[in-house]
Amino acid sequence: MAAARRLKRVAISQPGFLTLNPKVTPTDLVSSRRKRVNKNKKKNWNKYSDVQDVEEFLEDVRHQERTTGGLLCEKSDDSLFFLDVGQPKKVEEKEAAEPVKGKKRKGKSSRPLRIDLILQHDSLVAPPKDVLAYQKPNAKKLRRTAERAEKLAAKGVVPRSKKRLLNRTVVDRTSKKTETEANNNPERDFYDIWGQETKDLGEPWYLQQTRKKLVKRPEKLNEKPSVLPAVEVIAPGGSYNPDFFSHQELLREAHEVELKKKKVEDKLERQLAYNKADTATEETILREQVEGLVEESEEEEEKDAPKEDGEEVAVGAIAVADKKTERQRKREKAEKIKEQQRLTERRQTEQQQQLFQLRSIKTSIKQQEETTQVRQKRRKAKEEAQKAQPRRLGKLKFQPQDMEVQLSDELAGSLRQLKPEGSVLMDRFKSLQKRNLIEPRERAKFKRRLKVKYVEKRAFKEIS
Amino acid sequence: GALLQTNNFSSLIFRRLCILKGIYPHEPKHKKKVNKGSTAPRTFYLLKDIRFLLHEPIVGKFREYKIFVRKLKKAYGKTEWSAVERVRENKPTYKLDHIIKERYPTFIDALRDIDDALCMCFLFSTFARTGKCHVQTIQLCRRLTVEWMNYVIASRSLRKVFLSIKGIYYQAEVMGQLITWVVPYQFSHDHPVDVDYRVMATFTELYTTLLGFVSFRLYSSLNLVYPPKLDSNGESEPKEESEDDYAMNSESYLEKLSALSASLARVVSSADEEEAQPDQFPSEGEDMEKMEAREKELKQQEAQKKLFEGLKFYLNREVPRESLAFVIRCFGGQVSWDKSVCIGSTYDVTDETITHQIIDRPSVGKQYINRYYIQPQWLYDCVNAKILLPVEDYFLGVTLPPHLSPFVEEKEGDYVPPEKLKMMALQRGEKPGVDEEEEEEEGEQEEEEEQEEDDNGDEEDDEEEVAEEKNLKKMEEQRSQGKSLHVKVTPGKLKVENKARLEQEEKAEEKRLAIMMMKKKEKYLYDKIMFGKKRKVREANKLAAKRKAHDDSEKAKKKKARK
Repeated sequence: MAAARRLKRVAISQPGFLTLNPKVTPTDLVSSRRKRVNKNKKKNWNKYSDVQDVEEFLEDVRHQERTTGGLLCEKSDDSLFFLDVGQPKKVEEKEAAEPVKGKKRKGKSSRPLRIDLILQHDSLVAPPKDVLAYQKPNAKKLRRTAERAEKLAAKGVVPRSKKRLLNRTVVDRTSKKTETEANNNPERDFYDIWGQETKDLGEPWYLQQTRKKLVKRPEKLNEKPSVLPAVEVIAPGGSYNPDFFSHQELLREAHEVELKKKKVEDKLERQLAYNKADTATEETILREQVEGLVEESEEEEEKDAPKEDGEEVAVGAIAVADKKTERQRKREKAEKIKEQQRLTERRQTEQQQQLFQLRSIKTSIKQQEETTQVRQKRRKAKEEAQKAQPRRLGKLKFQPQDMEVQLSDELAGSLRQLKPEGSVLMDRFKSLQKRNLIEPRERAKFKRRLKVKYVEKRAFKEIS
Repeated sequence: GALLQTNNFSSLIFRRLCILKGIYPHEPKHKKKVNKGSTAPRTFYLLKDIRFLLHEPIVGKFREYKIFVRKLKKAYGKTEWSAVERVRENKPTYKLDHIIKERYPTFIDALRDIDDALCMCFLFSTFARTGKCHVQTIQLCRRLTVEWMNYVIASRSLRKVFLSIKGIYYQAEVMGQLITWVVPYQFSHDHPVDVDYRVMATFTELYTTLLGFVSFRLYSSLNLVYPPKLDSNGESEPKEESEDDYAMNSESYLEKLSALSASLARVVSSADEEEAQPDQFPSEGEDMEKMEAREKELKQQEAQKKLFEGLKFYLNREVPRESLAFVIRCFGGQVSWDKSVCIGSTYDVTDETITHQIIDRPSVGKQYINRYYIQPQWLYDCVNAKILLPVEDYFLGVTLPPHLSPFVEEKEGDYVPPEKLKMMALQRGEKPGVDEEEEEEEGEQEEEEEQEEDDNGDEEDDEEEVAEEKNLKKMEEQRSQGKSLHVKVTPGKLKVENKARLEQEEKAEEKRLAIMMMKKKEKYLYDKIMFGKKRKVREANKLAAKRKAHDDSEKAKKKKARK
């Protein structure tokens, strides 16, 4: 703003400046009082010295350079003026051009767009040269070092950086890969694991302390938890083309299993059933509501009666405590001694009598031993039977697999038409459970973290 | 004491570790004591076992894996794909070799536990590669099973095969151990929902490692190259031309191996296969009998090993190729199939030297005169019977005889199906022309005779005495009646002493005396056993009669149908 104002003021102060208002002289506009400023400060030089004319001149020079490529005063007359001889050929050109419409169009279309023209570089002043494009800083130094390196290379001296690279040990990537190869890699290698002796990696004490030695496996872990064989072959009735009787046998077994299941189900149903006569009728409901209101007084009386009895008994028990006399004590003591004597005598006679009962005692002892033996046997047999049974290892009991059975009409006539029954996968899984290798488990249920909300889409809503 | 499964690592990893290390849950004797007074059923492990488990170096690996998963998740969440790649590259892995060595200190221990491993590997190798488990695991299982089958072929150790409705059961004898495994039928999978795949995959992880090491050892015991290579100079070389149609180069090796049609390369060339003679030991008495029995068994086994030698089979496309090729090659037969079915076919249908063509369809177009067209069951039955059965029962379109389970071993007095009796007769070398019913009756008679001998051995003697007494009485009567005694001297008849009978009598007498000398307790037990046996025989007889009635009715029906 200030600069603009100053410019205005300078322009007005010029001689020959015409103002729009004729009554006002240019000198009036500029205040007659000249502003006095100190000229001994550089700040004021800048502020108050008038450089307008210089700037204008310079601007003009730059303008000339830009538009014509140099100062007009320095140019020759030929380059500035030309002889005007009118425009005689223009009409002819137009006539010649008219019949060829395509050409005209082409000329129009080939004309550059205005937007491109604006953006074009229109100054005639050559751009300043980039010095660095032609010169190299430190060129001399670099040249010298290169020359020296060449000389050294010719002598066979390897520079240090290269030496370091060469000296670096090469990390064998492939060996690492083979070491960490996954154990389900189909191309993996096997070797004689039982034949070769374990390599001694060092002192046993060192190995133990650095935890490189494996802990010895307890002997008990090598025992199998069940006596059952790994693969239980299906009964002969399970052949794809079975013998009639063995097939019948298998069917009967399957039938029995089904019967058992049915029995359990029936039992459950029976337990869940309720007596239909027990359902509430209007009468029973009414009685329930009135219960306790009608026969109140009688019950109260009954309740009162036993209470009194109880009090009497309690009083009596306390009252009996009476002191014994001297005589009574003596008599009691004598009786006690007599009783003891009687018992010892009796014991003695009994022992004497046992001498004659030796045989019967022997037999009774024998009997006892026999019964214990029988029990032991029974227990052992039970244990043996238990060994083949699956144990209770988890929340769930072992559920045997459904028997694989094909009914007589399902049996295939030939191997080609055979429809396999059951699944080997299931069979293996159940076998693992049966042999107590894993505990029976429920399948993990999918748990939803957020609630699901069902919303009908608007499009459907309109229809329905 | 026992311990609940509460640990600082999650129960999932804990379960995996337990399976890998062979630590199984334990049922405590006093539930209340270990469960803080509650009797609610829970899973318990022994405290010492868990302490042992925690020394396992794999525990650290599992922790690393947990961290790896966390890092990966984070990188995914931030969608930093380069980070995902980097984390993936550094995925921690582990090996189970030391666990195998620890759990199975000797090779025989491992071999005893190989049943499970085989079943699992065969099962997993049939899975579709759909993401129920890692594809790599399936491939590894396939490789291991193929190697196993090739070993069984090379060692000729297959003994029994049973086609059941569930799958095919095989039994092989490897280094004196009977090994049974089950193979599911091809394409028969419906994935049951209530099987925990993670547990199964963990077991498989362990078992693949085990099976790999075992098969390495087995291959080296036969001087075979491991991993197996096909014998390049074998005469039955697969045609080279059509290989590219089946598989890529990388896969064709395994595919050719799994075709099972070529023999394997050996470290030492098998120019002279020595026939190992069983060592003879001087022995006496009962041992001799046992030895003889064993020798006989060995001979039978040797014969069984060469069952299909010299026979040339051709498999039609509708029969289960792998199983049949396996069985045929196990017993020395040559086998081929249509070259569009699988890689590795060695000759065409038009080959004139083919002796048997396995076929499972009602009819064929062009038939060659010089070969049998039989149904696949014949092969399996032959293997179980240990002899070549007559082919007539297995011709095209004939109703097949039942496929009996070779895993059933009948005890004395059990019911034996007539088909089995027939087979046994064939094994003994009797002619197949004998009517089966006769056989059956013979069997029954034998049984009855035995029965009589067992319980009324002494009655026979009584009868003889009675007869003698009668004779005497008669003579006396004659004496008293006819006063005119015509005394005559007749030439004495030479009593022919039947040695065999005498021996038998002697034996029976001995037995009777032994029974008499028994203590009361033992006698009671003996009677009980005999009663049980008799009851079994009775039941068997009943079943046999039933069968006869059934067969008769069937025959009658057939006759009616013919009319």
